[in-house]
Amino acid sequence: MANTKKIQELLMTSIFEVFEKMFFVFLEPLDEDIQYDMVTSIQFSGPVKGEIRTYLSRGVASIMAQNMLGLEPGDVTDQTLEDCAKEALNMIAGSFLNKLDSTQVFNLSIPQYEGKTGQFNQDKDSHAILNMTFDSDDQYMGVTMNLETEKN
Amino acid sequence: MSFNVLIVDDSISIRAVIKKIVTISGFKMDNCLEAGNGREAMEILADNWVDVIISDINMPEVNGLEFLELLAKNDTLKEIPVIMITTEGSDQRMKEAFSRGAKGFIKKPFLPEEIKKVLYEVIGVGNDGQYEEDTRTADDLDF
Repeated sequence: MANTKKIQELLMTSIFEVFEKMFFVFLEPLDEDIQYDMVTSIQFSGPVKGEIRTYLSRGVASIMAQNMLGLEPGDVTDQTLEDCAKEALNMIAGSFLNKLDSTQVFNLSIPQYEGKTGQFNQDKDSHAILNMTFDSDDQYMGVTMNLETEKN
Repeated sequence: MSFNVLIVDDSISIRAVIKKIVTISGFKMDNCLEAGNGREAMEILADNWVDVIISDINMPEVNGLEFLELLAKNDTLKEIPVIMITTEGSDQRMKEAFSRGAKGFIKKPFLPEEIKKVLYEVIGVGNDGQYEEDTRTADDLDF
């Protein structure tokens, strides 16, 4: 089992890979509280189980949708934003678990979307082993992860 | 010669991206059909001829692996090549997909070139997107 630092590195690598490869969005780690507009969660099970949640500002979600689908800003719908947010998290989770141990089989849930808004540091999960925030041209993203072994 | 493609993914965005990549790759696509999961895909296949299927694994109702099983049980549909395109890229998951009949595997996130390469390999067309005709003559064949 990888330690927390290693898990953080793997998750961060997965986030960068997905955002750069699929959405052409380049993120920088940020050590500040952020305002978010959309929350998406996914659960995974297998040798370890847990949950990853992403917190996106509407701005970053809109840029993701525009870049991936070649849309003009006015053509981005709420449905498109939701779909992009869920698919981004699905890919982050899959990429992370593959990096964690590609010899093991993990089961991913269907990503769930919550359209709520808030401040990341006020709302973040106190049980999470990881809390990270990122910036891309003053648009924001946060991520939390819960992890537990089979023994728990 | 052009081909009918069925894209199966619960994400409308991913279906749109795959469709765009296949279109701009030069692949000779006639119809591009779309389904949100394996059940919808089977309904489409009941009424439409499809040359190649590109399918996600993690989908609601009937997931990609269950969809492969349904295809394998159907004498008419079991020969259609299926490319799995998924976030779940473990070695064992890939083996599982291939053992159920998948002919190609692409991990998300993907580059456009990766989809094009696997699609062309699976369906047997050249880099120009044209079907590679069998130019052998009877003299070339070893009976």
